[in-house]
Amino acid sequence: MLAFRRSGRWLATIGAVALAATLAACGSSSSSGGIPSGQKIVFADVAPFSGPDAALGPTYLVSCEGTTAAINKAGGVLGHQVSCTSADTRGDPADAIPAVQSLLARTHNLELVIGCTSDEAAAVVPVLNSHKTVMFCMTGQSEFDSKHFDYFYRLVPPDLAESYAMTVIAQQLGYKKIALAFGNDIGSQTFIQPAISAIKKAGMTLVANESLDLNATTFRTEAEAIVQAHPDAIMTEALGSADPTLFSEIKQLNGGQVIPIIGTSAAISPDFFTSSTAAIGASDFASNFHADNLVTATSGPAYQAFTQALLAVKGQVQGAQTGDFTTYFTAPGAVHLYDGMNLAALAMIAAGSADVAKWKPFLTSIGDGVPGAVTVSSFAEGVAALKAGKQIRYVGPGGPTSFDSFHDSPGIFQVDTYTAAGVVNVSGNITAAQLRAVSG
Amino acid sequence: MTIFLASVGFGLLTAAVLAIAAVGFTLQFAVTDVLNLAFAAVMTAGAFTAYGVNKAGVSVWVGLLVAMAVCAALSVLLNVFVYAPFQRRGSAPITIVIVSLGMALIIGFGIEAIVGGVNVSYAMSQGRTWHAAGLILTTVQFVIIGISLVVMVAAHLTLRYTKLGKSMRATAANRQLARNCGIRTGRVITITWAATGALAGLAGTIFAIDIGSFGPTSTNLFVVLILAAVFLGGPGHAYGAMLGALLIGVATEVSAAYIVPSYKYVIAFVVLLAMLAVRPTGLFGART
Repeated sequence: MLAFRRSGRWLATIGAVALAATLAACGSSSSSGGIPSGQKIVFADVAPFSGPDAALGPTYLVSCEGTTAAINKAGGVLGHQVSCTSADTRGDPADAIPAVQSLLARTHNLELVIGCTSDEAAAVVPVLNSHKTVMFCMTGQSEFDSKHFDYFYRLVPPDLAESYAMTVIAQQLGYKKIALAFGNDIGSQTFIQPAISAIKKAGMTLVANESLDLNATTFRTEAEAIVQAHPDAIMTEALGSADPTLFSEIKQLNGGQVIPIIGTSAAISPDFFTSSTAAIGASDFASNFHADNLVTATSGPAYQAFTQALLAVKGQVQGAQTGDFTTYFTAPGAVHLYDGMNLAALAMIAAGSADVAKWKPFLTSIGDGVPGAVTVSSFAEGVAALKAGKQIRYVGPGGPTSFDSFHDSPGIFQVDTYTAAGVVNVSGNITAAQLRAVSG
Repeated sequence: MTIFLASVGFGLLTAAVLAIAAVGFTLQFAVTDVLNLAFAAVMTAGAFTAYGVNKAGVSVWVGLLVAMAVCAALSVLLNVFVYAPFQRRGSAPITIVIVSLGMALIIGFGIEAIVGGVNVSYAMSQGRTWHAAGLILTTVQFVIIGISLVVMVAAHLTLRYTKLGKSMRATAANRQLARNCGIRTGRVITITWAATGALAGLAGTIFAIDIGSFGPTSTNLFVVLILAAVFLGGPGHAYGAMLGALLIGVATEVSAAYIVPSYKYVIAFVVLLAMLAVRPTGLFGART
């Protein structure tokens, strides 16, 4: 019996030592924020990879793969490599929710979500927010202007600002009669009311307003209604095959003449250019198309680092192998999500932890800067400065950020055009005063 | 008035494309007992086959013939390797429908995996645009309507006057009785899969010619229009499918001219529901 008690005591002692050793081992293998050493930090691209807006997901994935490759080349984050994964929302809230839930269930070490376009943001942002996952979203939906989600960030302006920007472009080009042709998806519909209001305020006339079912196969009647209204220009966002089909039918019904088109920043993508030029010809498209876009760098160290990061994955990202790859250098999703991912990675290093509660506050301080911070233009530069014990302000190719209390950082606009070869040119700028003049 | 006439013209064009698909679909259903929801996916395969031929520098009209051949073969293979085994095991009709839905997804995503998500167009001229009494159509669109009329007449003559047509009608009416009467129903079914597959290839290619820019998901809604046309006319009735296609095509385009265009398909389905409320078996179905 004594022997039993003694062996019991021995067993208890051995058990306690083993438990302590195990806990110690766990502690030493978890280098930061609970992520075991050797495991990767994951960034997820939550966006449409199929359906009418299927071009968006691959665009963001190019940015993700390029950015993470550059981060890994510079040593990774807190000793961890960073990788990308994706979830296809099909551009539909009903498909987006299960896709995100599956992503959350299967992905270990998920630190950041990018994408979350207007198609699915209203559905997935609350889910990700309740899961305490930081997200950089490509949505312009106005509901995020005044509704606070702790983990929601965006570096793109609200859609109504894009509507104003399109109206200013119409003004600059001297157009008086405007037709609207927007897709019936959530993302496109949000442009319509601000556009109507801005057109009125700018003293122009709205002559047609056609809503396009993105699943429809033809828009002949809608095109004919537009042609009969004799607009000087058409403001549009109807992704997938809708806009190219509409352009083709308008050209056909208008005696072979293309009516000038003013698109949104979403039209600055290789897929959109390829589809549209296939429908109406490269020359006709290039000479009749303008789009608003956020001002982004086209030279300098931030731009160099960004383009090198993307070029490193050229041809390697599925779904992003068509068109002129350099279009991604001005695609808003590619530019601003690159900045968002770099901000997140630098925030983790600055916090010394992959625990979101610890690194999230650094997003604002590194993005907006603090007194005495040195400006860095790439992840590698930022890491070097942090290692030198300096405070940093990250200014990437998307320009400086200025987060408000809703984590919105709206930029400033420029006017983009395409050459017939698909190269994007900046043909003008839009000032804040011009936007204010047409805003409702 | 001008927009009304224009929309009627566009409706006729939509109906022309829809009619070919609907006749193919309903014949397939009547003879083979398979409500093949993968029909539109086969159409997409046809459209991209013609695109591949066209991209190689060959006329899209040659591509159309290649697409018909490829889709005929694809449909026969679908039956041999998918539907027929399920039917032999006595699967319920609803099971076959679910299987066909699965095949639609497999073919659709398969095409998307191969060609990517980008939209493409054929390298071809639409020809001159003709304006007459409010109607606005291009030369190519007149050709599409002409092809559709030829297919409708050919379908009528085949079903009415040829041995094959009679065998198809007999097989559709009562397969066992047809077999007992000496009709080789297995052969008739295979020929039906090939013929209706060819119609799917034809419909897919002229659909793509008609819409100008197309992608792997372009026929997603079109299959619903095909079903609407088929059920409006009465499932299994070729002439009903023709009339159903005409009504659906014109209703969608005319309604687009006068209401919010994105509701044009809703209006088409309101017409369908109203019609079915009066005649549940469709316009050409047996009276109940």
